[in-house]
Amino acid sequence: MKQKRSREARGKRIAGVSITRRDMLAGATFTGAALAGGLIPATAIQAAPQAAAAATKPVTAFSPEQRRILEAFADRIIPTDENGPGAVESGAAEYIDRSFVDFLAAEKESFATGLANLDAFARTSQGAPFAQLSTEKRDAVLTAIDNDQAPNLKAFFARARRLTLEGMFCDPYWGGNKNFAGWDLIKYPGVRLAVTAEEQKMSKPAATLHKSAYASNGEDNHGH
Amino acid sequence: MATKLKPVDVAVVGLGAANGVAVLPLARAGLKIAALEAGSWMKPADFRPDEVHNNIRRMVGTGRKGWGEIPTFRTGPGQPTRRFTIPPMMNAVGGTSIHWDGNSWRFHPWDFKVRSETIRRYGASAIPAGSTVEDWPIAYDDLEPFYDTVEYEVGVSGKAGNLQGKIDPAGNIFEGPRKREYPMPPLRDSDFTDMLIAGGRKLGWHPHRGPAAINSRPYGGRSACVYHGFCDTGGCHVNAKNSTMVSTIPAAMKTKNLTIFERAHVTRIVSDDNGKVTGVQYIRDGQEYFQPAKAVLLGSYTYENVRLLLLSKSKAYPNGLSNNHGQVGKNYIGHWAVRECVALFPHDLNVWQGAFAQNVVVNDWADDNFDHTGLGFIGGASLTVNHEVHPIASAAGPTFGRAPQWGSKFKSYLRENAGRWVGVYAQCNTFPYENTYLDLDPEVKDPLGNPVCRITSGRKENEPRASLHAANKAAEWFRAAGAIDTIVTPSPAEGPQLSVHGVGGTRMGDDPAKSVVDKWGFSHEAPNLGIVSGSVMGTHGARNPTETIQALAWRTADHLVKSWKSIAG
Repeated sequence: MKQKRSREARGKRIAGVSITRRDMLAGATFTGAALAGGLIPATAIQAAPQAAAAATKPVTAFSPEQRRILEAFADRIIPTDENGPGAVESGAAEYIDRSFVDFLAAEKESFATGLANLDAFARTSQGAPFAQLSTEKRDAVLTAIDNDQAPNLKAFFARARRLTLEGMFCDPYWGGNKNFAGWDLIKYPGVRLAVTAEEQKMSKPAATLHKSAYASNGEDNHGH
Repeated sequence: MATKLKPVDVAVVGLGAANGVAVLPLARAGLKIAALEAGSWMKPADFRPDEVHNNIRRMVGTGRKGWGEIPTFRTGPGQPTRRFTIPPMMNAVGGTSIHWDGNSWRFHPWDFKVRSETIRRYGASAIPAGSTVEDWPIAYDDLEPFYDTVEYEVGVSGKAGNLQGKIDPAGNIFEGPRKREYPMPPLRDSDFTDMLIAGGRKLGWHPHRGPAAINSRPYGGRSACVYHGFCDTGGCHVNAKNSTMVSTIPAAMKTKNLTIFERAHVTRIVSDDNGKVTGVQYIRDGQEYFQPAKAVLLGSYTYENVRLLLLSKSKAYPNGLSNNHGQVGKNYIGHWAVRECVALFPHDLNVWQGAFAQNVVVNDWADDNFDHTGLGFIGGASLTVNHEVHPIASAAGPTFGRAPQWGSKFKSYLRENAGRWVGVYAQCNTFPYENTYLDLDPEVKDPLGNPVCRITSGRKENEPRASLHAANKAAEWFRAAGAIDTIVTPSPAEGPQLSVHGVGGTRMGDDPAKSVVDKWGFSHEAPNLGIVSGSVMGTHGARNPTETIQALAWRTADHLVKSWKSIAG
């Protein structure tokens, strides 16, 4: 019974393109002792991450058109609805855009190609650029990708989805999770410098704090 | 032309988890040490309670040098070669011990004698096909005094399961006998750890709180853990995590015998025509230096140890230092450590905070702790379930077939369940194989024009079976603890691509045709070159390697002190 359930669940997850070997805690990934990064062409130049201060600069890696496609995508991953603000409203596209300026610069070209391919697939399957489609038609595009009708978009979908989640649930310092909407959604208790035994109780989780690791004045929140 | 520096007794390459420990016995013995570290000192302000900073951008877990030297990967000769996006190597004074999660284990006695013990109990045919596994040249008992020393010098919290033969189920009953209790009790219990202990006991298993190089109470003049939950790939803002940066390195500095050169990028270990090493060449702030030394301890990460040896060619070593038998890079092991089982609970788990090493571990399905007759594999995995699950990792988890992967239903699922699932961390006994090794990449170069390390890792049968067996046990454990759903997924047969538990490559052994260093950690070929690193390990245990690396490092340094005249004279 257990095996059956497992196979069933696994099948669904694979069909949903959810499983990526980047996802640190999902499924049979090598983790802890393995790195959660990806693989790129052997000759690609890899950039070191920039100092954290760079994240506050108003910078963009994408053209306005690319940004519109990205936002239209992120909006369908976590929409604004009765459960509160969605990914775009929470700044996920901002987070992703900034990431490609420095940390993900080596991956920018392949991600931009993915955005273009998504747009092209929207035109052929739904008759208009992705960002100009109704939400129903955008969902139809994503469902078609789920159903293996656009094999060239599977890896991009997984990557863009993962980045959307990063933008939704990151520390607001990085441009996403605006007003702590992501953390509130999942009842993440927020950043504390010390956690008491009482705050680790399962029955009575710690209160949610709207506190970033970086104070708004730019000083760090490590308290020393 | 390199500036020639004043000679020292010992030059150590890399000042991280391994050499950070090795320098202490050397310095106490009065040897003058030059420590060449590619990174710098980190400050508390470099550490942030931030998942992006720590776990995604790895701003504590990497260093400038490492970003230029990211290894490449392929599954075999003729297969496409790809490059990783994140470096596995840390550069800083204290190295990986700054950002590791602190799980501080001894290896099991079986790990040292896998070959002979397997043949004895199951016959020669039970040795995994294609494996080059050999017994270590030392046994657990040889290492025990050094495990003990490291646990007290560095500071480890835990509960003995085998105190001089006396078994205590509050600890790991399967461990080898230890001389003393841990210097500190385990990290704090929580509702979550209580739940997992109860679940394991219900099955008749032996769950226990894992050992951690984290202060459960003030120790060594440093504070106790404050459980804020940013231990894994992050630094400790109160110095409760016992990195070498805060423990053994400062202790060695007090002797005035240790000089640390930060930002020293070692490019070659130099050897003379007689095959002895004469010192280390490095670049610091654009200037080239040569540091003469009577002995050298190589202690960078496994990939860089192998690369540096292969790059350090000389008249005596035309194929790379200590490689006249062609063994450097062979017997590399990427640790098979997987989350093959995840579980969903019907209530919030509140594991957002707390230390990553605030965990519960089951060892019943690891090592040779159960009868493997008819199972088709040897070894197994320890099963660890831990606190410290960050929001992005949590949201990116599985939905157990209960919701799609996007849209309002997904969002609604996350709202309810993001805090209700965990995975097991299954760490397997992992063995060396003919098809898995390190060498220099023929095409990809670092910024200095030197080839990067290339990982070749082919398919295995033993480890996937062992880890799947353990993952199914984990599912049983989760159910017994109250989970309403579990997913078990097999791991890829070629194993981990890039491992932060990468060991082997300069294996320890008695036979120079099958190993690079002797039982003390010194080169079979270059007598005054010692290697302190996981790269000397011949097998990987079913647990985190760091304490074993540190015990071996202490032992190698101790041997150098005791045999100074014969090694360095």
